[in-house]
Amino acid sequence: MIAARAIGDALRAALDEDSRVILLGEDLVDPYGGAFKVTRGLSTDFPGRVRSTPISEGTVVGVCAGLALSGYRPIAEIMFGDFLTLCFDQIVNHIAKYEAMYNGKVTCPVIIRTPSGGGRGYGPTHSQSLEKHFLGVPHLRVVASSLVHDPAVVLRALLAQDSPVLLIEHKLLYPLHLTLPAGGRIEHDIAEQHLSADGLPTVSIRPVPREDCSFTVLAYGYQAELARRVLARLAVEEEIFGELVVASQISPLDWAPVDASVSVTRRLLVIEESVEGFTWGSEVAARISSRFFGELRQPVVTAASDPTVIPSSKTLEARMLMTSDRVERAIRQVAA
Amino acid sequence: MKPVLIPTTDVNSESGLLVEWLAGDRGEVKAGETIAEIETSKAIIEVPAPEAGFLLHGVREGAEVRLNEPVAYLFDDTGALEAYAEEQRRLRAEATKSGPRATAPARRRADELGVDLASIGGGQLITVGMVEAAAGGPGQSNAAAAGPGQFNAVAAPADLPDPLPGTPGVPRIALVGAGLGATQVIDILRAAGSGTAVAAVDDDAALWADEVMGVPVVGGLEQLVTLFGKDAFDAAIITISTSVPARVRLRAALAANGIPLVNAIDPTARVASDVSFGTGNVVAAFCHFGVGTVVGDNNFLSAYNSYDHHNRLGSDISTGPACMTSGLVVLGDRVRLGTGIYVEPHVELGDDVQVASGSVIVASVPAGHVVKRRVVTTAVVPRRQTT
Repeated sequence: MIAARAIGDALRAALDEDSRVILLGEDLVDPYGGAFKVTRGLSTDFPGRVRSTPISEGTVVGVCAGLALSGYRPIAEIMFGDFLTLCFDQIVNHIAKYEAMYNGKVTCPVIIRTPSGGGRGYGPTHSQSLEKHFLGVPHLRVVASSLVHDPAVVLRALLAQDSPVLLIEHKLLYPLHLTLPAGGRIEHDIAEQHLSADGLPTVSIRPVPREDCSFTVLAYGYQAELARRVLARLAVEEEIFGELVVASQISPLDWAPVDASVSVTRRLLVIEESVEGFTWGSEVAARISSRFFGELRQPVVTAASDPTVIPSSKTLEARMLMTSDRVERAIRQVAA
Repeated sequence: MKPVLIPTTDVNSESGLLVEWLAGDRGEVKAGETIAEIETSKAIIEVPAPEAGFLLHGVREGAEVRLNEPVAYLFDDTGALEAYAEEQRRLRAEATKSGPRATAPARRRADELGVDLASIGGGQLITVGMVEAAAGGPGQSNAAAAGPGQFNAVAAPADLPDPLPGTPGVPRIALVGAGLGATQVIDILRAAGSGTAVAAVDDDAALWADEVMGVPVVGGLEQLVTLFGKDAFDAAIITISTSVPARVRLRAALAANGIPLVNAIDPTARVASDVSFGTGNVVAAFCHFGVGTVVGDNNFLSAYNSYDHHNRLGSDISTGPACMTSGLVVLGDRVRLGTGIYVEPHVELGDDVQVASGSVIVASVPAGHVVKRRVVTTAVVPRRQTT
């Protein structure tokens, strides 16, 4: 099943199972069904609980904050992740703080879903991966969809706890099929799923046993899929064996599966699509370098997009974003 | 045959669902007739027949289709259609008969070693290591895979040269390996006068009948065994300096055939009191062995190596020039040292340890470990041109 439909089904299940769940966002309602058609059919089946809003992201998220404080489980859709800047104040200054400010007397469990990332030629203001600006905000979870995590499992875990969540969905994942671990495998690879204390999955994928892998690649979202394909090819063609660790919650990160892999491979590459500098990868590199000082066989390698504005031309865009070629180059660097 | 493509400008979808065939499989269609409906994440797309003809469905109803691949094929007549369908059936049947999963390097290695991949089971990805294990151990070549004492059965040409006669009273030495290592050993033997190189052998048949500094290359290892049987030489020296596994393999092969090794020690080497050497060692110019040092067998020690007092060297060691140890240092078997290495007192390098050039070793290294070193290269720039 393609990711867009699987996420839609997860939302449908949430609406079905919990009457407190409400979906708000621009153009969610049928027949349009959302810009990426994730919510298609939901407004027809849950009238009144799936609503289109005016074009004001601050309002959408602000209303969600109010709903959450009143006991609802609102899920907002921001049509493009680039527009998260318009709700930055609501998220950082209000939603993430209420529980602490009121000493646990209230909670504000808002979930904000948004498509992110480039590769479609949508230009400077509809292609970014701005999640890096939300990493490390106290009490805010940042979670990224991928093809190896079941959206239903992730959403159920997020609805079962009370922290606010920013849920990133890379737009190139929507038309791709999920490749969930089944019977300890994903396609030909060995796949191992680790659940955090909150039930959020991290999946480790390797072509051969971990002891035979000479490096670890940590990634999320669409970059994880690029890395998975490159690693599968390099394993068969060149016997370059690396373990891919795909996190669902990227902040705060569940370190156990990362540590478990790096303690054996002792080499780490961190890949993300955000522009480089002060990134997820920098934080991971700092933490892993400190934790494994003296044990790593080489410094942690980080790979991210060029620190510039994303062009509209697909050709130019492909030169600055993390593409399959750049993922492969980074993997060869860490494997050398 | 003409492929039917999906007319789409939808940049958001790579694949869609074939909702319904509106024209039957193997039926006749008119140009422009709508033959199928595809649902993408954005919309339903109608697929028209690009021209008139007989239609062969490429996918089932309800199946996923790639938007940039044909969903159907059109033919001028049913004969061409059936021929194409039959060919596709045959190709599909062949494709499903795939063998075990193996990496490309593993497939090449299996070919080299004559290993049947199907014999390595377990349903996991087959690697070079697994192929070599199935062949009976990690080998350098077929000879090694076959075990010590058995050599490549390459037919020797009839007109290989004979060994030199040598000088009466001076041991006649056969050199194993006819490369640059051989030139070093010949030079040491000439300077030391402790033996005369009378023949060289090499695995590389391209070198046969050639000569190294006047010493004929008389063939491969098999020929060496034959010549030893004919009493054409007294002892052998392994001249390969860079490959420790090759030195190990060749030593085992010579021992299996009863061919003794002998030392070649340059006369400029300083050997202190109470030093003992095993056999088959090559010691290049200006080496120093301090008091009480014990050297094993079959080591290749390059120029300006200094092993200070009471060192203990194992066997099958290979070193680059200018390796210096302090007192009471221990080198295990098969240790490989690069160029310009200093070792502090009491340090023990375990078996199979490898050390990068320019390292300074201050603490012991466990067996099987590698000492790496960041190599700093001074910037190289063109000389400033002055007129």
